[in-house]
Amino acid sequence: MEDKIYETIIEKVSKAVIDAGTTFSEDKKAAYKNSIVNENNPQSRWVMEQILKNEETARREKSPLCDDTGIPHIVLDIGDDMIITPEYIDCIYEGVRRGLELLPGRPMGLLGDDIQRIEQSIGISDKSQDVEPAPIMIRRIKGKTKLHILLLGGGPAIRAKTYRIFHKHSINAVENEIVDWAIEGVSKLGCTPCTLAIGIGRSHYEAASYMIQAMVDGRYDIQSELERNITGRVNESKVGALGLGGNTSVLGTFLKVGPQRASGVRIVSIRPCCCFEPRIATVEL
Amino acid sequence: MMSIKTPISDEVIEKLHIGDKVLLSGLIYTGRDAVLPRLCDLAVNNRIPDNIKLMGSVIFHTAVSRAGVGPTSSNKLEIEGSMPVLSKYGVKIHLGKGQIDNETVKELERYNSVYAIIPPVTALLNSKTISKEIAGFEDLEMEAMYQLQVVEYPIIIAAAHGESIYGR
Repeated sequence: MEDKIYETIIEKVSKAVIDAGTTFSEDKKAAYKNSIVNENNPQSRWVMEQILKNEETARREKSPLCDDTGIPHIVLDIGDDMIITPEYIDCIYEGVRRGLELLPGRPMGLLGDDIQRIEQSIGISDKSQDVEPAPIMIRRIKGKTKLHILLLGGGPAIRAKTYRIFHKHSINAVENEIVDWAIEGVSKLGCTPCTLAIGIGRSHYEAASYMIQAMVDGRYDIQSELERNITGRVNESKVGALGLGGNTSVLGTFLKVGPQRASGVRIVSIRPCCCFEPRIATVEL
Repeated sequence: MMSIKTPISDEVIEKLHIGDKVLLSGLIYTGRDAVLPRLCDLAVNNRIPDNIKLMGSVIFHTAVSRAGVGPTSSNKLEIEGSMPVLSKYGVKIHLGKGQIDNETVKELERYNSVYAIIPPVTALLNSKTISKEIAGFEDLEMEAMYQLQVVEYPIIIAAAHGESIYGR
């Protein structure tokens, strides 16, 4: 009986990895369609049409959206319906491995000790499933237990930033600096239009964790005034799709604000997610 | 939309202009930062293997893994630095993504070659890739030089005849 439960979890997680790597959410597709209608640069409009065609092909063929299939990040929302045991955690990891094997993920697991991995000096495992996921993030929620799988690519990681902002007791000061950082990151990203994932917390760890949660909870069709302001101001940079110019540099902004420190500083983590990100799937365990 | 097929002639290059959307078919090569400097060395020393035909060729800046193909940034030092050298030895289209330097744009004009960008649409490209085989530098694994047979890859001309789509 337990073996059957475990196998079910492994299968669900494996499918979630594949869904994250091969599909867009409905609100993301709608955001693209809306941007295509409003884009006045013909090259950028064409690029966005190709991105939607790519999603249709990826969904149909179960083929990766991008050849950088990313590093799995797991967010576990523990609800009221189950007790998470060590065996369940093992099943989640096994499900990720199976999902990467089937996707198939790009083999990116580096071999060797600490120094060898930093130097990338003794090679890469040829197995897709040897890409280890990041540490699991756990949240407590009401209702049913859910698992979110995110696949984080390398391009946005290069342009992401976690740093302090002196807020000067003004949301405008924080927003202005976020917009400056975002324009710098978006203009260098390459694979635009992007989605800005932003976390604001009291430490670098907390800000980065809220940035991840912003990707989990954010929606293109439900945007706060602050999120809309940031999107609008970054779009004024006219970077456009693939840097070709136009109205659509950013599809949306996902912002999560945590508790804040009684001091003059805010720690902000910002990730300019590429045109396919956030690549995410959610499954009830 | 224009359709072109490898090998690419000088006459075809004359007809390509920045902003043109083009469907590319035929045999193309792949290469990125690990392999391209080595390929340049072989070209300069007249030691290109017989199975690699640079005249009229296309080099797609990508790795090739079981996940598929997708453009990496062409403005990486080793990649952009390869463009003038390989153009001199016959490469007609350098295919990747990102803005390249004005000096590189001028060098491409000198050899009547162009730079094109391709959206990072891996699933779509997989559906348009008929075959792939290693052409050289096998030790580099997924960054080895591959020869792909492709049908109607969607590309945009980004630098041609001394002009860049990023500079206008």
